Amino acid sequence: MKHFKTFKALMLSVALTAMSLVGIPTDGMAKSKFVFANSSPYDTLDPHVIYDVGRVASRLNMYDGLMRWLDNPPKLTPWLAESYNISADGKTYTFKLRKGATFHDGSPVEAKDVVYSIERILALKKGAFSLFSKSIEPGSTKAPDSHTVVFNLKTASSIFLATVPAIHVVNSDLLKSKEVNGDWGGVWLSKNEAGSGSFELTRYDPAIGFQAKRYADHFMGWGDKYLDEIEFRTVKEINSRVLGLMNGDFHGTDGYLPQDQVKRLKADGNMYVLEEESMRIFYSIIHNGRKPFDDVNLRKALSHAFDYDSFIDNILSGSVARNPVPVPNNIWGNPKGEKGYTFDLEKAKAYLAKVKGPIPEITIGALTGYGQTEQAAALLQNGLSKIGVKSKIVSEPWSVASKKMRDEQQMYDMLWLWRSTYYADPNNWVGEMYACDQVGARNNSWYCDPEVDKLLMEARVEPDQAKRAANYEKAAKMVTDDAGGIFVYNTKWFGPYNKKVKGVRFSPIGNAQEMRWVHME
Amino acid sequence: MRVLALIINRMLWLVPTLVGLMVITFTISHIIPADPIAFFAGENATPEQIEALRVRYGFDKPLYIQLMNYLIGVTNGDLGISIYTQRPISEDLLSRLPATMELTFMAVFFSTLVGIPLGVFAAIYRNSFLDHFLRILTVSGLAIASFWLAILFQLLFAMELQITPLQGRIDGWGPEKITGFFILDSLLVADWESLQSAFSHLILPTLTLAFPAMATIVRFTRAGVLDAINSNYVLYEQAMGLPSKVIIWKYVLRNALIGTVTQIGLIFGILIAGAVVVEAVFDWPGLGLYAVEAIMNSDYNAIMGFTLVTGAFFIIVNLIVDILHGIIDPRTQD
Amino acid sequence: MLESTKFIISKLSRDRTSLVGAFLLIALVLIAIFAPVLAPYPEDVTEFHPPERLFGPSMLHFFGTDRMGSDIFSRMLFGARITIAIAVIAVGVSVLVGVPIGLIAGYNRSWISDGLMRISDIFLAVPQIILAIAIAQTLGPSIENVILALSATYWPFWARLVYAETRSALTETYVEASIALGASPFRVMVFHVLPNISSSIIVRTTIGMGGTILTAAALGFLGLGPPAPSPEWGRTIAESREFLPEAWWYATAPGVAIFLVVMGFNLFGDGLRDILDPRTRRSNDG
Repeated sequence: MKHFKTFKALMLSVALTAMSLVGIPTDGMAKSKFVFANSSPYDTLDPHVIYDVGRVASRLNMYDGLMRWLDNPPKLTPWLAESYNISADGKTYTFKLRKGATFHDGSPVEAKDVVYSIERILALKKGAFSLFSKSIEPGSTKAPDSHTVVFNLKTASSIFLATVPAIHVVNSDLLKSKEVNGDWGGVWLSKNEAGSGSFELTRYDPAIGFQAKRYADHFMGWGDKYLDEIEFRTVKEINSRVLGLMNGDFHGTDGYLPQDQVKRLKADGNMYVLEEESMRIFYSIIHNGRKPFDDVNLRKALSHAFDYDSFIDNILSGSVARNPVPVPNNIWGNPKGEKGYTFDLEKAKAYLAKVKGPIPEITIGALTGYGQTEQAAALLQNGLSKIGVKSKIVSEPWSVASKKMRDEQQMYDMLWLWRSTYYADPNNWVGEMYACDQVGARNNSWYCDPEVDKLLMEARVEPDQAKRAANYEKAAKMVTDDAGGIFVYNTKWFGPYNKKVKGVRFSPIGNAQEMRWVHME
Repeated sequence: MRVLALIINRMLWLVPTLVGLMVITFTISHIIPADPIAFFAGENATPEQIEALRVRYGFDKPLYIQLMNYLIGVTNGDLGISIYTQRPISEDLLSRLPATMELTFMAVFFSTLVGIPLGVFAAIYRNSFLDHFLRILTVSGLAIASFWLAILFQLLFAMELQITPLQGRIDGWGPEKITGFFILDSLLVADWESLQSAFSHLILPTLTLAFPAMATIVRFTRAGVLDAINSNYVLYEQAMGLPSKVIIWKYVLRNALIGTVTQIGLIFGILIAGAVVVEAVFDWPGLGLYAVEAIMNSDYNAIMGFTLVTGAFFIIVNLIVDILHGIIDPRTQD
Repeated sequence: MLESTKFIISKLSRDRTSLVGAFLLIALVLIAIFAPVLAPYPEDVTEFHPPERLFGPSMLHFFGTDRMGSDIFSRMLFGARITIAIAVIAVGVSVLVGVPIGLIAGYNRSWISDGLMRISDIFLAVPQIILAIAIAQTLGPSIENVILALSATYWPFWARLVYAETRSALTETYVEASIALGASPFRVMVFHVLPNISSSIIVRTTIGMGGTILTAAALGFLGLGPPAPSPEWGRTIAESREFLPEAWWYATAPGVAIFLVVMGFNLFGDGLRDILDPRTRRSNDG
């Protein structure tokens, strides 16, 4: 290694000499640049093709929507829209666009761009498509004038507004000029950008990440403190991200690191860790449609056989909050004071005794590469063996699990996973996870209870939030009493940042990855 | 003439072998229980959305038609589109190739540079302390799990001592792209910062990958040198009174190296297989990592593309080795 | 036959490295058989103690504890059973498939021979680990499927070897003689060729065990082996990565275990080859 250091020193001196000879200033300009280490790769930049939380940064920083989710608890805020109006029947949504908003090429953001964007989502059938597939007919969205957009829904919907932030507005003139074989500019947009967002793309490499510079003309204006440049780089290995943060290569990374690593970062003098309760619940699906899991006594026995305290306090070092129902603790519609189930093998045995017929070996699914799901599965297996129930764990990659989840026959008896925030409305959780019309799609429990379903369907069209909240509270409580799944915790977000970084603004939808308020000291 | 016949025979077999390989990988990858479409469409996809994508990528057709379409595509140089990255497979493979080549060349370079002299010394001083030590080292080289060795290196050099990077191929964006080989490119554009970064990132993966290859080279060189020392013509030269140093370096080594060179095929095999796991541990953006990710994501076209390209590469390397062998040592021909 | 066995044993017992190999293999087998007796916490294969997770090595836990608070030493001992089972069955199946194919292809000189060898060439045309990963992923992660994936990709090695050996054995005078005397092909293959080439097969099989164990561990490492909470060695190393560098013992123990076992097979195989395979013997003792 000595040689390597000598080599390093030699190279450095050669480089410095070369630089001074050609007159490159070795001291960088006083431009502020923020580097974020991201765990998932930015395979594509197309905002209408992806809809996951891991790659949210490219969408939030380079694109705008009519509305945007801000802060925690998340508030739905008009963004490109100046105001909106909902018709009495809940079917017509009219948005007035702000004047003066421009795309990065300088052309104005107009109603036709919003219409093009929703049509593009409906045509590509990817990303956030499923949010709109049932409610919006292609061609039904109109632009009566250059700054008015009218969405005409097929049926009344009270969750539509919550999903509007997912319609990222693209520059329609630019994209039409890049179109090849009717691909809606897809090939071009996967590597380029056509937005109006706070930052404009300067560099992209799918294997590395993307770089963007501040868009000075952004319609929201800029304060006197801001970042000149942002860079989101893919760094898969946790230890690389942590080491990079500690030696100053990165200024921030995702907030879901294992607690042992968070402790390491907290102890480091150059770092600080922001803490927020997110909206991402961890639970186990139970296949309610399969015998004998259709028996509520068996499901209750399962719910009592999981050691919640050991999992939360020991294995996760208390870094999460117990969340006993299928709605996150920190959103409206959560039945407050609900206790849920406790680890109690005596109760489990008592419920088990009421189950008719023999209990087959239970298959517990876990996701390869997600240690927590395996640990939860192992802990449950251990609890089950103590009440005399046999089980086997199957750990498979998400690509396999996501297929099996949609097939009633192939679905595991149980499967551990998370449910993240796509839009901050209780419908994102209990409203989809246990609705009859979502069976085999987003309801992977084959759970369909007429009473629960009635509450959920009413809540989907009811405009009054107080009434909706009451319905979701009731439904969540009923699903819990029915032990529709094993509900364990709601995630806390621990965002590690370099001490120089100020102004981080967290929202569960963007996980603090929107950079327009951040600056460096 | 025999060499020519060998080449023609092998060339004739190249195409059926590759087609056979395609059929096998196609069968394996298409009975995967995973649904790449469902995976790609995402957590929130509806059944209609998935069905539409299935039709679009041709997954709704019967398997043999899919296979025929694929083979027709391949003959036109079209390996299809990755359902995961959305880019043409050929483009993906091509962009990943330099990373693997750079790593493999470094490993070959390092293992031969160290392995051949060690093998010669082990043979000259056979049964000495050095020989025994090298024997332990070479046996270890073939007994150690490369992913474990990689983690040990990371633990020691990157995490504890912090003198090398933990993983990845370079810090930042790398040098201006000319050939795709970072070392070469940074030299060409005189980007010293990138050169240093690329070099330091290469150290641990190269050591991990080179260790088993080096072990093999030491063994073969040692055996080759011993064979040569005991052969008649060396005894003859000795009788003629040539100094032993001259004999060793001029006659013995040359003959011994021929044996080692013909083992290149074997060494490439070790390296390509090793690269799959080593790249996964070091997050090295090469073909091996691409293959592992493709398999995990059930990306049919990418799996097939990778096997086709490595298969062709392997067959050609073996062909070259056989030809070399045929030229150097006519006795081995059947 | 008995005489030659005696000869081999006496030869082996004089070779120090083979003895080390033999010792490691005997230790492995004993550990696998007596794991429940030897392990201080045999229940820890399925039993967890979350409050005691990630404890360092101590007199209570020789190799520390893992992410669930289980004793790593006890789990490693049980892991030996999985390793032996995978290696023995996978190699056994490969031999049972590869040897007959090699014999037939070697004896026969028609298109069948060419066809069989081309099929094994196809399998040999890509790195074994890639095919094994693809097959294991297709079938789903479990011990049985790892065995299947390894057998499906390893048989061509034996087919190739036996093919080449058979071809050269057929030129031996006594084999030619028995063919001339009208012995059936089956008789020639089983009673004349096979005994003649058995030493090569034995050597190749012993050394092949080591390679198989490494590939199996790599499959476990990539998440394609037996699922949690199995104490399989490769999977344990993968589990430990999240907890590095603090829990260094977590990754160390299973890696050393794999190393020692593969080393055992390689050393013993080397020793066997020196005795049984006259063509390579020279190179080792000069």
